[in-house]
Amino acid sequence: MEKKSMKGWLYLLPALIIITVFTLYPLIRAFSMSIMLDYDMIHNTFTGYGLENYQKVLSDKSFHKALGNTTIYAVVVVPCSIILSLLIAAMINGTKKTKGLFQTIYFLPYVTSVIAIGIVWSWIYNSRYGLLNSIISFFGFDPIEWLNKPKYALPALIIFAVWKSMAFNIMVFLAGLQTIPKEIYDAAKVDSTPRWRVFLRITVPGIAPMIVYSYIMGIISAFKVYNEVYSLYGGKAGPADSAITVVYYIWKKFYQSFKYGEAAAAAVILFFIILAFTMVQKLVRKFLSR
Amino acid sequence: MKKKIVATLLTAVMAASALAGCAQKVDPNADTAASKEATEETTQDATKEEAKTDETAAPEEKTIESCEIEFWHGMSNKQEEVLTQLTDEFNSSNEYGITVTLVNQGSYGDLSQKLQAAAAADGLPDMAQAYNNWLNPYIDKVVDLSDFVATDFDNYDDIIEAYRNECSEFGFVHALPFNKSTYVMFYNKTVLDELGLEAPKTWEDLTTIGEAYVEKYGNAAWGVDDLAGFVEASLRQNGEGYVDATGALFNTDGGLETMTYIMDLYNNGLARLVGEDKYFSNVLSAQAMLGYIGSSTGASYITADGWELGVCPVPSNKESAAYCAGTNLVMFTQDSNKQLAAWEYMKWLTSAEATVTWAVGTGYLPVRTSAYESAEYQEFMASDVTATAAYEQSDAFFTSLASYDASNDVRTAVAAKMEELILDETEPQDALDALVEEINAQF
Repeated sequence: MEKKSMKGWLYLLPALIIITVFTLYPLIRAFSMSIMLDYDMIHNTFTGYGLENYQKVLSDKSFHKALGNTTIYAVVVVPCSIILSLLIAAMINGTKKTKGLFQTIYFLPYVTSVIAIGIVWSWIYNSRYGLLNSIISFFGFDPIEWLNKPKYALPALIIFAVWKSMAFNIMVFLAGLQTIPKEIYDAAKVDSTPRWRVFLRITVPGIAPMIVYSYIMGIISAFKVYNEVYSLYGGKAGPADSAITVVYYIWKKFYQSFKYGEAAAAAVILFFIILAFTMVQKLVRKFLSR
Repeated sequence: MKKKIVATLLTAVMAASALAGCAQKVDPNADTAASKEATEETTQDATKEEAKTDETAAPEEKTIESCEIEFWHGMSNKQEEVLTQLTDEFNSSNEYGITVTLVNQGSYGDLSQKLQAAAAADGLPDMAQAYNNWLNPYIDKVVDLSDFVATDFDNYDDIIEAYRNECSEFGFVHALPFNKSTYVMFYNKTVLDELGLEAPKTWEDLTTIGEAYVEKYGNAAWGVDDLAGFVEASLRQNGEGYVDATGALFNTDGGLETMTYIMDLYNNGLARLVGEDKYFSNVLSAQAMLGYIGSSTGASYITADGWELGVCPVPSNKESAAYCAGTNLVMFTQDSNKQLAAWEYMKWLTSAEATVTWAVGTGYLPVRTSAYESAEYQEFMASDVTATAAYEQSDAFFTSLASYDASNDVRTAVAAKMEELILDETEPQDALDALVEEINAQF
């Protein structure tokens, strides 16, 4: 018995070491840094412990803006992306011959570098030569200065992010759709059930676990959004910082202001927000599956 | 397992909050969380003090043992080529057997982040390129070069004055200037000739020429790549101060005059923000504007296809003032032999010969007055409009004060705030108030 468990621990050791060094230690370190006052990372000195870093971050206008933007982003991007992905996945699944082709096309954004996609999208958004504005003006609307005006900065980011996150969702949903037994669809056909009813009553419940999974993963990654902002606005956070997100704020505090404690405090706040969201979702899931 | 993780986390939080509860103003050495590393270091103030007194002994008679010097830089393309060429030359010709190894760390952003991480991990390279504002958190780890400059340097007064000031703004010589540039005005000479106008020399010229251009072509005439640098230069051109370690210095009549000049350019449609075009070199190349103020090294990004590029010194007002950018060479190695070796290399890169080769090859500016006057550089300048314009304003060079903690924050805050004020078409007085408030909030 003793020997056996020793052996077990030995097998676990590599994973445990990696988790400790790269996950647990940074986590604890972020917590401890966030309560150190005037923490100087370079010399590893500080003047005491306290919650001043949190006070500073929570009263910072820029952080409020970042938190607001991130919340709007998460609340809009994730559901939009899931609904659109679901429709597209169902459509692709229905076509037999071209399924492979479409699967590849829709998966392309996932395997392409965010920076490259950002450059392409900044052209799509261009106010004079952009694709999006030429479509808009085709329908008789005035062109929009997507990337120049603060009020469009977040919408532009959201549209870009919805498109980008669809790739992963479509793949997950397609995999899910394969698991729904064909007989159920056949039965529905026999009853000549309308297509929207088949979609809502068979397809959606059939891949409900995948939808929940995509939703949780989507919310978590939405709260950590940074790459999308960076690539779309060429390293800035939109015109006059109008598209700043929480992670961008953390990066700025750390690398630009050298306020290590405040950066850590903002990171801890973000950690608890994500934790809370995940907990709520778990409860909802439990409640629904009952 | 999950419960265990949560339990661990909770314990950590509880432990942390317990510590927070009992400790106020703890002596860092007595602290538990950071004791290991902290005992090796004294407090920040003490180390800073040490750096000032711990001056490196000047070489009496030179015996340098053969060694390798690691140099982190952020140069790419043509710049990296010329740097490699200069370094190879040094490696093969120095009499001590010193080998300098170039390590490309990517962009300036990457380089500064890596230096910061290396400073925290005590893994700084022997030498690096750096801007002053990167060094604020770890200036005590930079080698004081005062004695080297005093005893073993060829005519320090020959180095351009603005660069000497920049390299000693922490109270000691901490760097030697290297890849320096200045902001000049690039303009479409063909269009200006069509309008029958001369290149702008003053603020007034910018307004009148801008109006003529806008009337004829409809686009905004002017732009600036670096708003924060432009605000500072404009204030200096009006004889005003900008920001020092205490806060904004321009809440004055002269400051209001300057803001009126700037805001009027934008509010009246004579100037525009770069926005989605990212760099004005793109806009000028597409002939969608008349001219912009940007770094002299940006000349290579402008394609003058079917029109002639003109370059002139930045328009000024009461005084001329030209913003200088570009990094300097700093030394980190604590090994006295390596310090001597790195110094040999720094002397080489800033020598009249090397700085001319560097400037001609890359479009950066020479760091020495004698280099500007050398036959080789004069010949190069005769065929290079950008270099000529840069030289014309070299008496007006200044660098932005960066040796105070909030300098980075001030820079980015001014850029973002100015963008916001311009987008909102703010009145000059309100813009001045808002900008001053924003700057002071960074301290």
